[in-house]
Amino acid sequence: MLVIDDEEDVRYVAQLSLGRVGGMTVLEATSGAEGVDRARTENPDFILLDMMMPGMDGAATFRALRKTAETAHIPIVFLTAKAMASEVQRLKDLGAKGVVLKPFDPMTLAAEIRAILAA
Amino acid sequence: MVHENERLAALARYAVLDTTAEDAFDELVQLASSICATPIALISLVDATRQWFKARVGLEAPETPRQISFCTHAIRQNDLFVVHDAQADPLFAENPLVTGDPHIRFYAGAPLITPDGFNLGTLCVIDREPRVLDPAQQQALVALARQVVVQLELRRQIAEKAIAEERLARVAHELDRFFDVSLDLLCIAGMDGYFRRLNPAFEDVLGYTRDELCALPFIELVHPDDRAVTITETAKLQEGRTTVYFENRYLRKDGTTRWIAWTASPATEEGLIYAAGRDITRAKIAEHELRRSEGRTRSIIDNAPGGLIATDTRGIIESANPAAERIFGYAATEIIGGRLDLLIGSNFDLHAARDRVIEVQARRRNGETFTCEVSVFEFYAADDQRHFAANLLDVSERHVVERMKRDFISTVSHELRTPLTSIRGSLGLLASGVMGEMPPDAKPVISVAERNSVRLISLINDILDFDRLESGKMRMQFRPTPLLRVLERSVESISAVALQDGVHIELQCNGAVVLGDEERLMQVTVNLLSNAVKYSNRGDTVVVSDSAEAPSMVEVRVADRGRGIPADLQKKLFRRFERADSSDARTKPGTGLGLAICKAIVEQHGGAIGVASGEGMGSTFWFRVPAVGVAVPE
Repeated sequence: MLVIDDEEDVRYVAQLSLGRVGGMTVLEATSGAEGVDRARTENPDFILLDMMMPGMDGAATFRALRKTAETAHIPIVFLTAKAMASEVQRLKDLGAKGVVLKPFDPMTLAAEIRAILAA
Repeated sequence: MVHENERLAALARYAVLDTTAEDAFDELVQLASSICATPIALISLVDATRQWFKARVGLEAPETPRQISFCTHAIRQNDLFVVHDAQADPLFAENPLVTGDPHIRFYAGAPLITPDGFNLGTLCVIDREPRVLDPAQQQALVALARQVVVQLELRRQIAEKAIAEERLARVAHELDRFFDVSLDLLCIAGMDGYFRRLNPAFEDVLGYTRDELCALPFIELVHPDDRAVTITETAKLQEGRTTVYFENRYLRKDGTTRWIAWTASPATEEGLIYAAGRDITRAKIAEHELRRSEGRTRSIIDNAPGGLIATDTRGIIESANPAAERIFGYAATEIIGGRLDLLIGSNFDLHAARDRVIEVQARRRNGETFTCEVSVFEFYAADDQRHFAANLLDVSERHVVERMKRDFISTVSHELRTPLTSIRGSLGLLASGVMGEMPPDAKPVISVAERNSVRLISLINDILDFDRLESGKMRMQFRPTPLLRVLERSVESISAVALQDGVHIELQCNGAVVLGDEERLMQVTVNLLSNAVKYSNRGDTVVVSDSAEAPSMVEVRVADRGRGIPADLQKKLFRRFERADSSDARTKPGTGLGLAICKAIVEQHGGAIGVASGEGMGSTFWFRVPAVGVAVPE
């Protein structure tokens, strides 16, 4: 899977939570543009996409991924600090598979994402 | 016949019928009798049905019926009426006065002609023998008849004069009484500056006797400060001009001052002034008080920081205070008479805005629009008319500050989440042991750090929730919601914590359906359950139940058997950052916002929240939300 987040520390914790705790192979990208590139070349099973990033934000990255032929099919789960129900609904309406709220529980993050993908 | 009625009316005017004998008339009949040498002479007044004798000689009867009277014939002509021999006259031969007593043979009657031409009766001479009057006798009889009329006139004039005098005396008496009973001051003063006549009211008002008042030039009774204007006013009266209204102060005998309002009229030929005065001291004091109180009210309104605009019931502006002038940039005089809705929006409805606080987009003179808080109230002014007043506050700045505050809270809260994600994640991984075994001393330290990072996260969540609730940004989705599902999900989400604390949760649900936002109702229930578990002892049972509350409300109760809450703390619990016991803060983690959030959520549902508790008796927290019905079992 691919984590796209500008915050190195968050990427690190996510990698441990999904990799070491969840047993997944975790790829990282530090920006939306890099994320689109890596997704096209590596073809991950799903993408965990941070909403608030400088430059190309989560929504723009989401649209780019959807527009790119090689990445259009990849399920995307948003990672956001905005916990409002309306915000969550907005992201789902955009076409996201699911939404994970910051801060997440590192021990249950992998299980949470698996549940979203299975739904 | 009309003529006869007028003649009778003329007779009545003399008021002579049935009066007693009078010398003047008696002498005239005596004179007629002796001049004409007849045994009988009469002054006969011809009434409607009789002839009545004012004076008579040689006849006993005071009156005789009119049909048989000779005089009835005599008054039909204006000169002497003579019957020389009644027995020989076919008109009178059968007359009972001829055939019987007094056996009239001769009659001569001179009509009594009033100045206005009515023949009231006759002066007549009668004989029992036929005869003639010589021309001198005839002339004398006619002349005497005129004298009778002169006497009647005289008599009438005297009587009328007496009546007039009596009436005059009565009027004078009446005026005197009014003069005496008047509460107002009534006086006649001379142009020489002295009172001539005063009514008793002067004594009451000024405390002097009337004699004392008349002995002084009245100017000496006037307050020294008012003497100059009084002299000017008196001079005008002396020139013959009327005083329509004039106020001055008089000094009472006891040294106090009285305000008197005057009207006066001069009689220059008599050298007199007629004046009426009224003691207006109390009115003056009241007026002064009113002016002072009005000044105070005016000053409050003028200095009030809020704009205040008064209108009539149609919204036409009647007044505006300086704050309103500042807010809108108009002088009051420019907007008085204009419509209030030109300032605060054409959709503004005065009547609908009454007793509420609403926000409208208002417009300043320079065209700038701004948010204005308006509250309208109605009042009745001294004119007994209904008016409206709008309290206006420019809240644009406050809005900017509030928006900044909200943005700040929101930004800070969101910005805090990103570093917290790393901290919480790292600590969670360390505490769980997935990063490898830690030295035994380090374990509790890491777990303190992890626990507190979680607590910090829930504090941020609560602050955000509360801010959204307060700013109305939290949108509720009200739909029929089975309460059982809400309670089951709530119990489920708290079960891990309950298990850890050794507290059992018992659910008793009657299957009501409420109108509410499922997620928010769950938030409330979880919060109450979490508190109940937190304050329970190991081995306790927390009961969550529901019951219908009339009318159309459902109550959810969460009861614990903890140590209870003192009465004085129960109300404070639902305020921000209040805890049952501040010493709990360390041992029982919480933000102090939970119940305030619950209260806000329940109130947005149109419900209520509360607690029943006593120290050592446990607590039952409850909330009520509107019911829709009872769920049909699936």
